[in-house]
Amino acid sequence: MEKRAMILDGATESGVDTRRAGDVAMDVFRRGGWRVDRLALREVDIAPCLGCFGCWIQTPGLCVIDDAGRDVARRMAQSDVLVYLTPLTFGGYSSELKKAIDRSIPNLSPLFRTVRHEVHHVKRYARYPRLVGIAVSRDRPIDPDEEELFEAVVRRNAINFYAPANAACLVPDGGDDEACRRTIERTLERVIGP
Amino acid sequence: MTGKGQHVLLLVGSPKGLEKAQSARLGRVVLDGLEKRGWTSESIHLHEAVRSDDGRRDLVASVARASVVVFSAPLYVDSLPAPAIRALELIAEHRPVETGNVPRFVSIVNCGFVEPSQNDTCQRILQQFAERAGLEWMRGVSIGSGGGTTRRVRTAFDILVEALDLEILVPDEVERLTRKPVMPRWLYILGGNVMWRRQAAKNGVKDRLRDRPYERRGS
Repeated sequence: MEKRAMILDGATESGVDTRRAGDVAMDVFRRGGWRVDRLALREVDIAPCLGCFGCWIQTPGLCVIDDAGRDVARRMAQSDVLVYLTPLTFGGYSSELKKAIDRSIPNLSPLFRTVRHEVHHVKRYARYPRLVGIAVSRDRPIDPDEEELFEAVVRRNAINFYAPANAACLVPDGGDDEACRRTIERTLERVIGP
Repeated sequence: MTGKGQHVLLLVGSPKGLEKAQSARLGRVVLDGLEKRGWTSESIHLHEAVRSDDGRRDLVASVARASVVVFSAPLYVDSLPAPAIRALELIAEHRPVETGNVPRFVSIVNCGFVEPSQNDTCQRILQQFAERAGLEWMRGVSIGSGGGTTRRVRTAFDILVEALDLEILVPDEVERLTRKPVMPRWLYILGGNVMWRRQAAKNGVKDRLRDRPYERRGS
């Protein structure tokens, strides 16, 4: 089966440039023979999640809002690796990236179970993508607290969405291209291999 | 009572709005307590505010004049709902670097899991926001079980209100009272699954709860 990766680019109007990091990730996947899609979420009209639970108890697995959010959720479900690319936003994801992630909850069941001594939702699908978070930070030097927080957010998402592997990194906006490339390559290799 | 001239702003980050959201109800407990002590208040629904130029402008202005900002939102995938993050981005971007007023900031996050601790990453994001936006971080209150309140949680809110009114640090007691799950995990799972199945049955989809519309097939 073809190996599929999807890069969700959560760039905002903040001016933080995610393109360089996205280009490096695209390059790594292509060299590895992956089919890779890259979506600039700022250009995609995705309505915010209504919090109605319709995707669980009215149209199971399908958001009740019929817009591009459905297509993104489908592509997320069918990927082998998901890359969350974002301007670092208070240690987490930008609003642009989050609008897509919020609309992916149809990919879980509403039912509860115990995972790692906590309540989580049951799987809807047999398999879920590996998860990589790449954040681009304006700060120099990078704030280690925010870096650790970003890694924690990705790790928590990986638990909730049954990602079989996960990794995260922070790269600066601008500066040394080669260092940025090495950081992203090393992070991706942790989940897709060399 | 020290509330004279003090103003509290409630920011609600739930799509369900100021009337129906559990987040609004939780935030309202703090507002009611402060109003009884002579404070004035206002509430903003963030999903509405970020949709228009006027809404965005009013949001930034309201934060600038508040003595205390109470932020209340549901946990969405280990963080906040996207429009709530958008609101934080706007506030941080437009807060003046030098300002005479530094509002105190309290966050209330409620999640649909039994463990309040599942809100931890979200609370840390909110703390980072407060620092970036030049607000004084006071305390994050994490509520589990879909925002249900118990006597312990109500006591925690009473202590929080008193601390905000007296302009003292929020005691650790608030965290101790809200940190513990309100019921055993097995009971929450059992009750929750009965509830989901009942709701699906009402909609005629009980047997479709495990549908896989996006199952990947072939190559």
